[in-house]
Amino acid sequence: MTAARLPRDARGRRPQFYAAQGLDQAMSMILVLAAELSVMRERMDTLEGVLAAHGIDATAAIEAHEPSPETLARREAWRQAFLARLYYLARKDAADAARGETEQAFRRTIEDIAQA
Amino acid sequence: MTAGTLGIVRQAEHPVLPKPTHDERARQEFARSLKGFVQQGLLPGLGPVFQGRVGPAFARAHGRPPADRHDIRRGMVEDPYFQHYAATNRIAQELLWESVLDSIERQWSALNARAAQLSARATAPLEIAAGFDVPRYVTAIDIHCMPGGYAAEAGPDDVAAGALYDRGVFLYAMGFMGPFNDDMGRSVVNWLKRHLPDFRPQRILDLGCTVGHSTLPYKEGFPEAEVTGIDVAAPQLRYAHARAAGLGLEVAFRQRNAEATGFPDDHFDLVVSHILLHETSGKAMPRIFHECFRILKPGGLMIHADLPPFDLMDPFAQFILDNETWYNNEPFWGAMRDVDQPALARAAGFVDVRFDTAPMAILEAAGAAGGAEREFVAGEFAPGGGWEILVGRKPE
Repeated sequence: MTAARLPRDARGRRPQFYAAQGLDQAMSMILVLAAELSVMRERMDTLEGVLAAHGIDATAAIEAHEPSPETLARREAWRQAFLARLYYLARKDAADAARGETEQAFRRTIEDIAQA
Repeated sequence: MTAGTLGIVRQAEHPVLPKPTHDERARQEFARSLKGFVQQGLLPGLGPVFQGRVGPAFARAHGRPPADRHDIRRGMVEDPYFQHYAATNRIAQELLWESVLDSIERQWSALNARAAQLSARATAPLEIAAGFDVPRYVTAIDIHCMPGGYAAEAGPDDVAAGALYDRGVFLYAMGFMGPFNDDMGRSVVNWLKRHLPDFRPQRILDLGCTVGHSTLPYKEGFPEAEVTGIDVAAPQLRYAHARAAGLGLEVAFRQRNAEATGFPDDHFDLVVSHILLHETSGKAMPRIFHECFRILKPGGLMIHADLPPFDLMDPFAQFILDNETWYNNEPFWGAMRDVDQPALARAAGFVDVRFDTAPMAILEAAGAAGGAEREFVAGEFAPGGGWEILVGRKPE
């Protein structure tokens, strides 16, 4: 198979839709992630179909599945960790506030260190 | 039309259509669904947003209501709802090409080899011209944001741009072009059979045929005719030739410019084009009309299936459609709709010039099966259930 590459970036200046710099790129990242979520879901759906073709009714088994207390705890821990990752900037914001970190203080530190 | 009108249309397989993996296909389906959602879920909100806040704000700021599509755009681009609509539509388009490119790149050399093999079997000619000058309106920016555009090629057997267009157009049309992407050609053939039941064209030419998706229905509809497709983009023609061979139809594909085709005078009985004119230019369009006149036999027909003119629409509908100009790399889309097409055709010598609507073959077929409803939603793609056609006849 060739390692050749097709053109990926269309000629023609891309419009900016949002006034805030960077938001267009953030929006595209969100939709790429949404696409991958959709792909994953579809793959699971296919997997259930493949299992069914081999005589395993995974769809019904999944519906009938009763998670054990250990499973429930593991999932809850995973969800909390996931949410913490998702909101890491909020955590940082709160930490800055708690330590009295401001942009002004940050600039002052840079100047101080340059002089020290 | 609603998304539910047709159900999920699957693209018909043929030997040069790239086969996606499971996940590539899922990404392609997501891009198509996102596009569908923008049309069905976000676009209808633009009307209320304009009526409820953007229009009144414009009137307050300017002391007059918005007068035309340009005023409407000036107001709408500031509105967060419109920004989400337009940004999402653009991203859907970009994701569509990305998802198809992954699939083509993975099997690129195999596709090129398969196309060459199929082409070698066909008796109808494939003509690629050495040193062909591709016009600037095709190369200046990548139309539809399709990376590389119509004509990009990596070598003398490259069909990637054709494969990209074939799959991309299918997804872009969300099923309304039919399983073979051929609804425009099929609909015009149906129109001809209905309005001119005795018409027996011997030679048919399709201008700007790309992968020949609209061309092949003419061979099916008029099997005795010699059918030719021309285009400026070599990889599209190579793919078209292989695709036709794979589908068992003998159609000639030649690299020619519709402005000056090189065919003899009085040669064709029917010259057609499908969504071509709006991808040319202000100067090219009249030249194409003159060229059609020259190569048609006396009594021959010219039919261009393209975009209806703006003067048939209210400014808000114009604004919606003109988004393609600004956000989908369609430089001539808006200006073309302001051109007086019947006047151009008459100036080239045509008579009986008129606009008509060729009902979409796929909706007619679904209707015959009891499935179609002709509900109008102001979508950007083929609103109203029919393709707009400009018809002209060369006098005897």
